[in-house]
Amino acid sequence: MKKQANACLPNSTTEPTWFKAYRQQALQASATLARPVFERIDYHRWPIALQQFDQATSSLEDTAISSDLYQDNTFVWTNKHTQWCQLAQKWQAQGVIMCDWHTALTKHADLIQKYYGKTVKWDENQLTAQHAAWMQGGLFIYVPRNVQVTEPLVSYLIQDARTTADFVPHVLIVAAENSSLTYLENLQTIGSKEATANIIVEVVARPGSHVNFASSDRLGPNTTAYLNRRATVERDARIDWSMGMMNDGNTVGDFDSDLVGNGAHAEVKIVAMTSAKQVQGIDSRVTNKAPNTIGHILQHGVILGKSQLIFNGIGHILHGAKGADAQQESRVLMLSKQGRGDANPILLIDDNDVTAGHAASVGRIDEEQMYYLMSRGLSKELAERLVIRGFLGPVLNKIPDKHTLTTLEKVCEQKLIEGQKNA
Amino acid sequence: MAVLEIKDLHVAVAGKEILQGVNLTLRTGEIHAIMGPNGTGKSTLSEAIMGNPKYEVTQGEILLDGQDLLQMAVDERARAGLFLAMQYPAEIPGVTNVNFIRDAVNARREKPMPIREFLQEFDQALATLDMTEKMADRYLNQGFSGGEKKRNEILQMMMIKPKFAILDEIDSGLDIDALKVVARGVNQMRTPAFGALIITHYQRLLNYIVPDYVHVMMGGRIVQHGGPELAQKLEAEGYAGLRDELGLDIKLVDEN
Repeated sequence: MKKQANACLPNSTTEPTWFKAYRQQALQASATLARPVFERIDYHRWPIALQQFDQATSSLEDTAISSDLYQDNTFVWTNKHTQWCQLAQKWQAQGVIMCDWHTALTKHADLIQKYYGKTVKWDENQLTAQHAAWMQGGLFIYVPRNVQVTEPLVSYLIQDARTTADFVPHVLIVAAENSSLTYLENLQTIGSKEATANIIVEVVARPGSHVNFASSDRLGPNTTAYLNRRATVERDARIDWSMGMMNDGNTVGDFDSDLVGNGAHAEVKIVAMTSAKQVQGIDSRVTNKAPNTIGHILQHGVILGKSQLIFNGIGHILHGAKGADAQQESRVLMLSKQGRGDANPILLIDDNDVTAGHAASVGRIDEEQMYYLMSRGLSKELAERLVIRGFLGPVLNKIPDKHTLTTLEKVCEQKLIEGQKNA
Repeated sequence: MAVLEIKDLHVAVAGKEILQGVNLTLRTGEIHAIMGPNGTGKSTLSEAIMGNPKYEVTQGEILLDGQDLLQMAVDERARAGLFLAMQYPAEIPGVTNVNFIRDAVNARREKPMPIREFLQEFDQALATLDMTEKMADRYLNQGFSGGEKKRNEILQMMMIKPKFAILDEIDSGLDIDALKVVARGVNQMRTPAFGALIITHYQRLLNYIVPDYVHVMMGGRIVQHGGPELAQKLEAEGYAGLRDELGLDIKLVDEN
């Protein structure tokens, strides 16, 4: 891919000089950097490169968005535009920050400068560089030391595909020492034009903190997406990822946890579903960089129609990470004969004093189960849904947050019913 | 009154013909028992009626009130009024027993049954079968003991209320107490609107569920018809005795 080096960057008069310089640097590098490579995920022909960043999109107060979303502790954003952002008074009083990117650059430049681009670096690859160059805004969350935010903070990042404009939000979450929060991200699409999304989430879990990150990903069928979510997990901190990959378009999911401090812990739980002719490739990695770190990956996915689902599970224990634990399980259930599935476990272990294990399987739906359920009068579609619910159960049942679980169950059911219709 | 007719039924499994022309007519209000030695095609008959895709009907007809069941998918047969209590019910993790049974009940109705009404009936059926309420929230058949699975099949039958139930060796692996409980469930269903086909190789179950008709199956055919006294006779003389009396040239699977 060749990008013109003189392509214009967002022309903002309010961004600080250092941020503009950062964009410029990333833009130049994006012309020469290579795209990231993921085992068995072949996306090189996808229109995943950003190029429609300048196209006008709808303005503020978008009427296509349900005003039901406009609640406390909620952030609603469409391409470039913050539709809603409100944090409950009690959290504000404790110093919690939840604001859009523009506000963050203006009011919290010190924090942004300290944390932005440190977990996902712009020069890692072409897609991260393009993201850094053209990111359109997004969300910043900061929870101060010792503050426990007991209500979920919710975002709706809504792609406006009524035009072919790129969708490039950035989310930065910082949990200071011994703080905790639950964040639920909803990705959605309005409209059905062919468009590209490049979404990056950076989470910094400072020592002793606990971050529950959940996502309900439901981008549209004509959206090609690069989703990069990554956490830096420090000493005795923990991140729980609970993701529902229910996008309808071609998607690469690039999910990493860097366990950099002694005793850091990452739990990655993913349910995914593919339907029609889409491809979703999900590359989940945990890197144990410090002693006594724990990284567990559990991902279950379902394939409908002629779609493709690839799970890579990567557990990487670096030399010196004594007492580290890396476990993973990837399972794929295929409902159709035309679909393709892959569950690919990769353990890279550079130290001896560690524990590690993996399980992976790709299987077809059990005919005995289907026969039994249908012999009770359940339609084939309902019987399939029950078997799938059972298959996803071991992941869903371990999701720590109730609200997240309900959201994910709903989105699974929705995708499943639509997927069956299109199969 | 509903009628289930099986006419000249031939069924093959993995290319081998197991049933070689079975004729049988069941009416609601009647309980039929099919007895026979191991490997004689009793389970093949029940699976073929239900529509298990592993069993291939090569000849003959199965009609429910004149409707051609062989043209119908498994779930359509079920909704038309058939029920098969299976010998080896599948385990479905992640789906609770009570939710599944409610789905099954509602699959037959235009409007879902009000939940309160459903639960009331469900609790009564549990009580009839000496099942604890814990069985409601366990995953369907998962980790159930043999006896729990059989009771759970009868529980489903009682809730679904089919026109015709086929009970495939519902007595196997049951102790005498469990056998009585299962029989109680079946007997409670005994109305003019319900017919059953009980498949067993022992006469014992028929002491508790007294059949109107007894049929003996050997070598893929029904070789003898009679009333409850036929079961008693078999108990006394064994299948080999009947075979020799009828002059049949059939080798029994368990025969030395």
